[in-house]
Amino acid sequence: MEKLILNENNVQLQIEAKNWEEAVRIGAEMLVSQGCAEKSYVEGIISAIKELGPYIIVADGLAMPHTRPECGATGIGCSLITLKEPVFFDGDKEPVRVLICFSAVDSESHLDILKMIVGFVEKGWIPEIAAMKDKQELFDFLNKNSNA
Amino acid sequence: MLKILAVCGAGLGSSFACQMSAEAVLKDLGVDAKMDHTDISSVSGAQADIIIAAKNFEKQFERYTISCPTVFLERLVDKNEIREKLVPVLKELGEL
Repeated sequence: MEKLILNENNVQLQIEAKNWEEAVRIGAEMLVSQGCAEKSYVEGIISAIKELGPYIIVADGLAMPHTRPECGATGIGCSLITLKEPVFFDGDKEPVRVLICFSAVDSESHLDILKMIVGFVEKGWIPEIAAMKDKQELFDFLNKNSNA
Repeated sequence: MLKILAVCGAGLGSSFACQMSAEAVLKDLGVDAKMDHTDISSVSGAQADIIIAAKNFEKQFERYTISCPTVFLERLVDKNEIREKLVPVLKELGEL
């Protein structure tokens, strides 16, 4: 399943970002460049985090930035980025190095993306993914460990 | 059947992911429950026996009249935390 969701175009590892906002922007812009979201979606995510707090950090080290479909999502999509240096979100003490941004068009149809994210957490893969040097390492790892 | 609602900001990401993790915990515990997810602005009128939400919404919840037990989580996808905080509530409701 991960193989269908993550590919050459929506993964960037060991990115440099000064703060959470820049990191979220990089990840969310990848949704725009894939044609899954308008520019407004990027700003929508950032203002939702500022307004509602860091509830998008669903597990230690992992944030899943997203917002409502009506903020400019045009399709179902996702991006995975990892950071060279971790960022911190206001109101949360834990460093974050893995960000999986996604766009959704309703409340259910992005199920596979969420299953993938929850799967990564349950298998304890987040620190491992954070440490990976390049995309190929990630794809090889997923190929080897994916039960699909 | 027991109805449990996961709540987050947009009502489709963090809460949906939380629903998946909580469903797995409930299955482990052998508790039959129907789960759904929604956003914080719809929580006021929602019908549920238990609500699960992220800790950072605790303050906002104070503004709503919610008649069922609410569980606040630091990490919405942490099965250990879900289990730890859900079990006492399930016992209280006689589901365990």
